[in-house]
Amino acid sequence: MLRVLAAMLLQTAPPPLAIEERLARALDLTVGDTVRVRQEPGAPGLLMVVGAIYAPRADPATVLRSEYHARFHLSDLAGLLGLPDRIDRAGVRLAPGVSPDSAARRLDRLAVGFRVRPSAEIASESSRTFLVVSRFHRAIGVISIVASAIFLLCIMLLKVEERRLDAAVMRMIGVRRRTVFAALLLEACLVALLGAALGIGLASLSTAAVNAYYGHRFETDLRFALLTPGITLFGALLSLGLGVVAGGIAAARLVRTRPLLLWRRG
Amino acid sequence: MILGAARNLARHRLRNGLAVLGIAVAAALLLDMVMLAGGMERSFERMLLSRGYQIRLAPKGTLPFDTEATFRGAASLSARLRADPRISAAGAVLGGALFTTIHDSLLPLAGLGVEPEGQGLYEVEQGADLGPVDTTGIVIGATVAKVTGWRPGDTVRVTAGTDPQITRAASERRLVVRGVAHWLYEARGQRTVGIALPLMRAMLGTAGDRASIMMVKVVRDEAVEAVASDIRRLAPDVEVNSVTTLVARFRTRLTYFRQLSLILGTISLFVGILLVTTLLTITVNERLGEIATLRAIGVSRGGIVRRVVAEGALLTLAGNAIGLLLGLATARYLDRILTSLPGLPAAISFFVPERGVVVRAAAALLVAGSIAGAWPAWRAARAPIAATLREEAT
Repeated sequence: MLRVLAAMLLQTAPPPLAIEERLARALDLTVGDTVRVRQEPGAPGLLMVVGAIYAPRADPATVLRSEYHARFHLSDLAGLLGLPDRIDRAGVRLAPGVSPDSAARRLDRLAVGFRVRPSAEIASESSRTFLVVSRFHRAIGVISIVASAIFLLCIMLLKVEERRLDAAVMRMIGVRRRTVFAALLLEACLVALLGAALGIGLASLSTAAVNAYYGHRFETDLRFALLTPGITLFGALLSLGLGVVAGGIAAARLVRTRPLLLWRRG
Repeated sequence: MILGAARNLARHRLRNGLAVLGIAVAAALLLDMVMLAGGMERSFERMLLSRGYQIRLAPKGTLPFDTEATFRGAASLSARLRADPRISAAGAVLGGALFTTIHDSLLPLAGLGVEPEGQGLYEVEQGADLGPVDTTGIVIGATVAKVTGWRPGDTVRVTAGTDPQITRAASERRLVVRGVAHWLYEARGQRTVGIALPLMRAMLGTAGDRASIMMVKVVRDEAVEAVASDIRRLAPDVEVNSVTTLVARFRTRLTYFRQLSLILGTISLFVGILLVTTLLTITVNERLGEIATLRAIGVSRGGIVRRVVAEGALLTLAGNAIGLLLGLATARYLDRILTSLPGLPAAISFFVPERGVVVRAAAALLVAGSIAGAWPAWRAARAPIAATLREEAT
């Protein structure tokens, strides 16, 4: 008797669905709640029970859309949409050793109405957006680097020129040109290194701020800015290189000028 | 005064040349970022209004053509809207996949079922438009014409509802190419074709009078929001978006680019200010003796301030002039990169070089550059005359 009752209850129990955490929070739903799901407003819809609440994997492709997601059993969704035995896509796991390309070609020839593509091709196509954005970032990065390089060159030039009185005195008391040049160059390198260290600190702080802001805004643990060791090294080397070049040019100009002339200009 | 400032700047050609170059790059970046900040929205708005349709109706909770969802009652709604004297045109559109065969290969087409008397999706460039109840005609896009070689007057075979179980199309029609059209919202490389709405419904096997979107043209622009509001009351199950609403939603999706442009624009303005301030501070320090002499022979503090500020303004002006050209060139390059985003309508631009935008960016930098000279100018004017001259003498 009990078994029959249980079977009846199971038969009439609404089908389950899984909803993502954000949706559960927005609608104040918990596991076990019953909801009515409709294909469109006014349609009778289907009573369903929240069977699970899941945290979706962070996906940069959908993060900006802020859409809510729910997972249904295929038959439930097909019934709800009035599209029995139809699907949008299907995944196929191949036996070890089978080439995805040749398998896709063979499957594609089987029938019309669907297109078979290896996962790698789909991944490459769906990552096109990010490739474009990445190209844009690189281009902006190059412009920023050019701007900061010119800025650095200018500052270093001014910094070395400020020392022309010291250079004049050193030359007048007999210090060799090479030594004056080396001293000025070393100073320029130290300034560049100090600037690079400060810049890296500033970049770390801004990276953390960007990730915290966008992470909170889009409710995701995706990282929007990355300061990798490679980028850090590139920044430090670029700064040092520019310091050396600018310091070298300015120091060479100073040591070539006659000390008395430097003294007068100081 | 300007001549004097120019002469002073010419004394240190290398460093001032570098400063002008630095300001030019900062100005270029600023211009690009100002263009990026508002360009997308303006370009999107222009595209939406290109045929004068100010309102779009879509299934509840969606944006036009953002999903494959459709809504019911399109025909009755369309008829009621056309009866409204404030509305000059209204037309429903149903999207779906169509196919044709080229060299034994199935070629997918982006099919749109339209009501030719109220469509805001295309402009016929060659041949003729579809008739009001055209059950045998098709209008194709330039990409389709190129790929298939179809020309107006050709009879072509178009299928829909290809079913893998029966390995053939559920629906097949022989249609006559009426014309080649420019599809206003077509993405680059997209193969768009248009047929009459009833034919599209029949080919897709769509039950009832369903539509993906409906476009509405209001006679007077000022009445758009009021009409949109009335349609919302009339059809509560449909999402009613005016162009203003759509632009606002588009803006939300592109928040990232706007914030990036704000951050980079601010940084470039800051770099420009820093460069001018640093350079002028050092220049003023070097010329303290000269400035004290000028003050001693009767030049007023205001005169000194004006000279130094003029130097800053001249540096910025020169940098701005180069930066403007550089900015326009880099904007074209950056626009080429961003408009290659997949699925983006070809009519969208991210960097729109409008006169107002260019003037705003240049003015911002010019004002900032002139203000940047204020601190060194103030220091120069405040220098004690006697002490400075004594120091210079020793």
